[in-house]
Amino acid sequence: MNFDLTEEQQLIGQSARDFAKQYLEPIAVGLDQTGEYPKAVVQALAKHDFLGLLLPADVGGAAAGFVSYVEVIEDLSRYCGAVASIVNNHTVAAYTIQNWGTAEQKKQYLPAMAKGELLGGFAIFENGPMPGVGQDALIATKHDVGYVLNGKKAFVRNAGEAGVYVVFATTDPAAGAKALTAFIVQASAVGVKVGEKQETMGLKGCPVAEITFENVVLAETALLGSLNQGAEIAAKALAVASVAEAAQTVGIGQAAVEHAAAYAKQRVQFGKPVAVLQAIQTLLAEVATDCHLARLGLRNAALLIEDGKPFEVEAAMVKSFLVRLGPKMLIDTCQVEGGFGYSETMPLPRMFRDIAGTTLLDAPGDFPEKLIAANIA
Amino acid sequence: MPKCLVCYKWTLDEQDIKIKPEDLSLDVSRAKGKISDFDRNAIEEAILLVEKDGGAVDALTYGTTSVKQSLKDALSRGPGKVYWIADASAENADGNVTAKVLAAAIRKIGPYDLILCGEGSSDQFNQQTASRLAALLELPCVSFVSKLSVAGDTVSATRKLEESQEDVTVKGPVVISVLSDINKPRIPSLKQVLGASKKPNEEIKIADLNLKPEKLLPKAVCKSVKGFVMQRKNIIYKESAAADNVAKLKASLTTEGLC
Repeated sequence: MNFDLTEEQQLIGQSARDFAKQYLEPIAVGLDQTGEYPKAVVQALAKHDFLGLLLPADVGGAAAGFVSYVEVIEDLSRYCGAVASIVNNHTVAAYTIQNWGTAEQKKQYLPAMAKGELLGGFAIFENGPMPGVGQDALIATKHDVGYVLNGKKAFVRNAGEAGVYVVFATTDPAAGAKALTAFIVQASAVGVKVGEKQETMGLKGCPVAEITFENVVLAETALLGSLNQGAEIAAKALAVASVAEAAQTVGIGQAAVEHAAAYAKQRVQFGKPVAVLQAIQTLLAEVATDCHLARLGLRNAALLIEDGKPFEVEAAMVKSFLVRLGPKMLIDTCQVEGGFGYSETMPLPRMFRDIAGTTLLDAPGDFPEKLIAANIA
Repeated sequence: MPKCLVCYKWTLDEQDIKIKPEDLSLDVSRAKGKISDFDRNAIEEAILLVEKDGGAVDALTYGTTSVKQSLKDALSRGPGKVYWIADASAENADGNVTAKVLAAAIRKIGPYDLILCGEGSSDQFNQQTASRLAALLELPCVSFVSKLSVAGDTVSATRKLEESQEDVTVKGPVVISVLSDINKPRIPSLKQVLGASKKPNEEIKIADLNLKPEKLLPKAVCKSVKGFVMQRKNIIYKESAAADNVAKLKASLTTEGLC
């Protein structure tokens, strides 16, 4: 197995790093403090083709492949996890339309999504235990010319800024999630109401809100994939998204360990830099190793996605690995920086909040460990 | 509509270079390559000129075999074609050798209205390529350029000097060397990166440049490159009263010429 990046992938990574340094580094602290949506930066992302990275050339995308995509997400996350989340949620919506949409749907939405004229959102979660279950479940009722949506979706990211949402609703309340069906819903549709922006622990700047659907009338052409195929679509799309989220976790962890290592070299205690102390070296070495191994795992999963091979088990392994070790990376790097690292004047508290967002949210439909255990030969 | 050529150098990224503590020698084993910083400004300026007035931009580089790694990077930044010379002589080439090789190549692929270089390279910063190149090609040279425009065959430039600014005009063809504040090099978009492999590149064999072997021998030989470590004097005044310490400190700083 070759983990080396091609020349193009390396150059794309370099472009992402240069972009992040120029556009994200100056705003990261401000976003964390205000939670304001970074509209100008999103437009700049579109100009540099990051919003159409995965989409094919015939709809205006860059067709750069999934390995490049995780490189980009990691590099953006090193400077600002929230912006990487905006890109990731847009991309998973575009990915879903690209993979399950009709030719007309692709033609209608993807060119504008590739250009960044239309931001995407992915509305899967509900307040109940699973989509299609509970009193707020989003229900799609068949009518003469299509469907009518009623209910709510929770924790929708890019909410309020997206122009189009991939929305999952059950067509049979009795069957719940088994009758989950995907639809493409325009934000401008009558009856779509985006709630108040929710305050989140981290990844501030990537808007999160509940969306209420009140008698939203959809034409038959809004159906994405086939009737009751929603669970399958959501599982695949979320598994893909989880690999990109792993790249977010690695990017934030890498930024944290580099900051801690630089701090340790200049922080003098007992007459010498703390970087020479074995206890500090152990903490730094363990975090750097975790980042490196996770990066190899996610590149492996990304390559499988790019090659159209089964990837869900490998994606689950990366997710499981980082759910355990992501937050620990920040605990350990904060430990290296001691009281200063705990201070809000330093970047680690922001990274701590952000890395929690990348590991706590959007898990695959089931515990990743269940999938991994079931596939041990 | 000017026909521009940008000469660039493929250098090691100084951020990746480590200094070995035992002998201060450089560890470049994990250092990646990059287009020299000022040369990126030169490429960007040429692209800005042709975007405004039309024309064409080619690029030219001379280096060791590693120079091949630079081609897609260079092309993603806008030039339509890149010419490259990969030869072992580049390993120890000084400004004299580099300029002779580049000049011979330009005679072969030219003529060009504007030949742009960075003011100096990221690694050695000898600041010799542009002026030597101009001399060899018998062209005017305008250095330290922080602003540039072209109207017909007249090139107008602002030179940023140590304590003054100089506005000059010159009839092309001309060799220009640019400073880093002339522009902010753009970040290549993903389509520009992926489109680079579709643009042409052409190798120029050094044997085809009709340079005698002795022309490829450096006149200035670099014996070694070592890191620099600031030696601190660690003088601490702590024996007497505070006022005395301050007086001694002031005297010491005055002796050192620091105040």
